Amino acid sequence: MAIVGQLLFSGLAIGGVYALVALGIALIYRATNVVNFAQGEFCMLGAYALVFATQGLRLGYGAAFALALATMALLGLVFAVGIYYPLRNRTFLPVIIATIGASIMFQNGALAVFGPSPERLAPVIEGGTSGGITVGEIFFDYQYLVLLVVTVVLVALQYLFFEYTLLGKKMQATSQDKDMARLLGIPVTRMIALTFVYSTLLGGLAGMLVAPIFFVTHKMGAVLGFKAFAATIAGGFGDVRGAILGGLALGVVETFGAAYISVVYKDGFAFLLLILFLLLRPQGIFGEKVAEKA
Amino acid sequence: MLYVALVPPLHRPGGNMIRSAAFALALLASATVPAAQAAEPPIRIGQVIPMTGEAAESGRYHKYGAELAAEQVNKAGGIRGRKVELVQEDDKTTNPGAVTALQRLLEDKEIPAIIGSIRSTQVQAMLPTVKEAGIPFMIGGTNYGLTHQGNPWVFRFRPHDGFSAKVIAKFAVEELKLKKLALVHSTDAFGNGGRDFVTKALGELKAEPALVQGYNNGEKDFTAILTSVRQSGAEGLLTYFTFSTDIGIFAKQVKQLGIKVGWIGSPSIVAVDGRKLAGEALYGTYGVSDFHVDGSAKSKEFTAAYRAKYNLEPDLYSAWCYDAVTVLAEAMRRAPDLKPESIRKAILGIKGFPGAEGEYNFDENGDGLDHYHIVRNENGVIKYFKTIRVPR
Repeated sequence: MAIVGQLLFSGLAIGGVYALVALGIALIYRATNVVNFAQGEFCMLGAYALVFATQGLRLGYGAAFALALATMALLGLVFAVGIYYPLRNRTFLPVIIATIGASIMFQNGALAVFGPSPERLAPVIEGGTSGGITVGEIFFDYQYLVLLVVTVVLVALQYLFFEYTLLGKKMQATSQDKDMARLLGIPVTRMIALTFVYSTLLGGLAGMLVAPIFFVTHKMGAVLGFKAFAATIAGGFGDVRGAILGGLALGVVETFGAAYISVVYKDGFAFLLLILFLLLRPQGIFGEKVAEKA
Repeated sequence: MLYVALVPPLHRPGGNMIRSAAFALALLASATVPAAQAAEPPIRIGQVIPMTGEAAESGRYHKYGAELAAEQVNKAGGIRGRKVELVQEDDKTTNPGAVTALQRLLEDKEIPAIIGSIRSTQVQAMLPTVKEAGIPFMIGGTNYGLTHQGNPWVFRFRPHDGFSAKVIAKFAVEELKLKKLALVHSTDAFGNGGRDFVTKALGELKAEPALVQGYNNGEKDFTAILTSVRQSGAEGLLTYFTFSTDIGIFAKQVKQLGIKVGWIGSPSIVAVDGRKLAGEALYGTYGVSDFHVDGSAKSKEFTAAYRAKYNLEPDLYSAWCYDAVTVLAEAMRRAPDLKPESIRKAILGIKGFPGAEGEYNFDENGDGLDHYHIVRNENGVIKYFKTIRVPR
């Protein structure tokens, strides 16, 4: 029983990371109908921004976090203006290719600036020597707990924001029907830019939160990006609740698959899940129709 | 390029003139320089190193080690009055890059020997070209097969993986006296090779492992593996990890799940990246390492010289390249001439030769070393414990 509990916690925790990244992919997809393949790199860049703020500028944790988030917001804006905006009237393909190009550029840029040796980040809560707490026979890593809490809080805030604020409603309207939104006087381009900013923040935050558990390397975003992509598919593309549930489910499936079936094929389970969903339930967990968006 | 080709030759006489003038100048320069030196030209030794790409940082240490050795050889009078000069080419940390760099060096017919890569996969990619060219090739890759495929031109300056596996097994069973053993290994060529060697060595010691478990490089969550380690009831853990970043994460989770075992690992366990992340989770563990600053009298001497020249701590990258140049220089002194075949025979004749890594005794396969140092992580400092030599 203890083993199952431990596996469940680890699975949910790693799934929380996938969920945060998947959320960013889903939001951008809703707003623009384009898959952002650079979303994983936002994690990597967020983590590096925090590394630079704590180790380069020697800021305290709070200030460093704020600065790193501000940097990510700015990057999101630059990304929207530089990558999406020039191609916005083309089909989805050039934009997708551009995001792949951006992803390669980010990876190699990080390699050039920060070098190949991995960087380490201190956890948010410095909890003794193990960095966590053992309850019963289950070990809870503080950083994973923080991550899960942040995911839940963010999702709740986001729900309130989209449902109860004017800005949120404008962003929703934009993602549902751009032409209609434009007719109603909603500044569509600005709303899309805002979506990019928010998604970049989410990606960056996910990166900053997993960095103390993993290492910060120029390659850390690639794996997260792919897993999150699989989670987005399982959740139904552009479905926000589905992306979160898909991320968590993916983490759990992976961990249990590794424990009870095969460790070596662990990454395979993520993609098996992806294939199964594409075959059996392409509309995702909650079944939102994707094709309706123009 | 395209533009130049499209413009008719008549339209660019100026360009031709400048080129001819530059050519004449170059001719003049090449004619005067050797005359001014009035000595024999230096012996050029090729070296393929990563200057860009992922391993760029280690490339610097390769260069430092080789250059320190060249400097010492030259200070001691060079080789038959000729100085040694290193010619370095960038392998870009990729296999095609390594082959291209090698081919560029081979074009220079004055180069009698080449120092290759520490990466087994790159060495593997370069070997066919080396065999075709017929030139002594010094390597640092530790994959067993590299020196066992009938290529007479390969010489290895680090002990191969078969030795490290034997040392790991022997030390765990005979010195740490661990009874039930679990083996965790990466599933790439290095890790699977290690698994085979370790299980074979354990079989010979009559200590069959209780658990053998693979993982994929880049794994972030080892909970599943660690629960089976716990269930196996192992009191000893043998690890054959490729990347030290993976072992850093693994070690942290070993500690978090409260698994207490005696632990000895392949060289990645002592590398600095993993130790940085794992911190005290790796304290008290043992590892095998082919180079240690206190490994032998010659290691200490090399360390002192390296620190003095670069104000840096030497590592295995600088050590094996230092040895490659030193041994090569010794072989060229002993050889009757600098023909590849003569140098090859001279290297094979080198026995009991002290190097920074250890004592070189080349066998017919081109393997120079047969030792591994056992080192211990004492509160984050890697201390020399003992050296184990393996009968070949």
